[in-house]
Amino acid sequence: MGERMNGLIPPVVFGVAFLAVWELAVVGFGIQEFLLPKPSSILEAIGADWSVLSEAAIQTGIIAVSGLVIGVVIGALLALLVTRFGRIGEAATPLAVALNATPIVALAPIFNAWFGITSFRSNQAVVVAVVFFPVFINTARGLLEVHPDQLELMRSYAAGEWSILRRVKIPNALPFFLTSLRLAAPLSVIAAIVAEYFGGPQNRLGPVITQNASVARYDSAWAAIVMASILGLVLFWLAAALERLVPWTQTGGEG
Amino acid sequence: MMGEVTPAVTVDGVDMVFNAGSENEVVALREIDVTVQRGEFVSLIGPSGCGKSTMLRVIGDLLQPTAGSVEVFGQAASSARQNRSYGMAFQSAGLFDWRKVAANIELPLEIGGWSKPDREARSREMLKLVRLEDFADHYPWQLSGGMQQRVAIARALSFQPDLLLMDEPFGALDEMTREYMQSELLRIYSELGTTVIFVTHSIPEAVYLSNRVVVLSPRPGRIHAVVDIDLGPPVESTDSAKADEIRERESFFEMTTQVRAALRSVEAGTPGRAGSPGVADG
Repeated sequence: MGERMNGLIPPVVFGVAFLAVWELAVVGFGIQEFLLPKPSSILEAIGADWSVLSEAAIQTGIIAVSGLVIGVVIGALLALLVTRFGRIGEAATPLAVALNATPIVALAPIFNAWFGITSFRSNQAVVVAVVFFPVFINTARGLLEVHPDQLELMRSYAAGEWSILRRVKIPNALPFFLTSLRLAAPLSVIAAIVAEYFGGPQNRLGPVITQNASVARYDSAWAAIVMASILGLVLFWLAAALERLVPWTQTGGEG
Repeated sequence: MMGEVTPAVTVDGVDMVFNAGSENEVVALREIDVTVQRGEFVSLIGPSGCGKSTMLRVIGDLLQPTAGSVEVFGQAASSARQNRSYGMAFQSAGLFDWRKVAANIELPLEIGGWSKPDREARSREMLKLVRLEDFADHYPWQLSGGMQQRVAIARALSFQPDLLLMDEPFGALDEMTREYMQSELLRIYSELGTTVIFVTHSIPEAVYLSNRVVVLSPRPGRIHAVVDIDLGPPVESTDSAKADEIRERESFFEMTTQVRAALRSVEAGTPGRAGSPGVADG
């Protein structure tokens, strides 16, 4: 317990020092608040706009988390399917790689046309598309990269395909899956906010940032950005905590 | 051994060709005939690429030979595998990271449909056999290489197969641990009376463990010589350290010299002279 506390000291000290330097720099160099507000001004704006900001963060959070869950489920299921039937995998891999090279957020206006510009569905679709790929690729790798000796062992026990999947391939893929979840969790918040810039309901962090920036209320825009990064951090921490619950992830997969 | 007793393993005229007909065709095994009697400890030795691991996998029905037949306890190799007639151990212990030691040992039993109490009783028994009673609840990565290998052996023996197939199981261990594991394996072997086929490229290891050493030549893998091993009376002790006395015997040096000579003649390309060809010939 003491060690964990000790581990927290350096980042806390660094963070406080960083904010102090920021504050002093803005004051000392006379930087205009519309270019870069002081941390204290941002904090003030968070307090003043709390009801709008907290509602926006919750709404954006719902989009990010629901999109994350849908994308993760699709990615994992597709990985299972593709690795189970090798032919599909060979046929689908080039397409998947091409899709991954597409900047998904570029599709946001298209999704608006598909799902309606005021619908949350188009934002959610961007999150799903962004999250899907890392989960799919990592999980598929985990399912395929089983040590050949372990597969031979299972065959020597006369184990069937289903038994091998359940007892070897899925547990082997779990660390890979959880690593991809840790990558995908903060991505989901980024994807949600960028998608919100292009459309969807207005009571979200994305529109709050653009609206405040357009009327030069930069402290409020920064306040919304702070809320967004807190949201991303919370999701990252949750995913990292999930990863730590599984004891063999410390050795298996790629930390 | 009387003729009426079904041998543990009969390999009859086995050829194994990979990528047949294509440019990178590899003849891994050619005209292999071997009979292993029940209770025998037979080592397969040869330069790398001689097909000794392939031969082990053909016996275990993990590879299907291109020609010839394999019988294990009088059954076709495929039925023997389906009936779980043999246990297997590799150079990599091949333990499952997500299972604790006891659960690793219980895995083949679980697949075989054993009840939970039976599985637990057997894994306790097996842990006692390999002297790891205190490590049932450890994860594999918390154990040393030698301990992991002992768990792998316990797992291979958990369903009491009459045949144990081992592919360089001690190859990754340091010399001290390796000798200790060899003595442990001999102790377990004499306690259970299991038939063992053991792939190695260590001459002293083959001589120390085996009743017979089969020397293979590479490309294509053929039986080059068979050396019968006689090290004199066994050491009557369950203490592994005392069993090391055998390694100091004159007969041990004579036998290693014979096996070495057979391996040398493989490299020189001359026909093997050492040993009794009677068992190898079909």
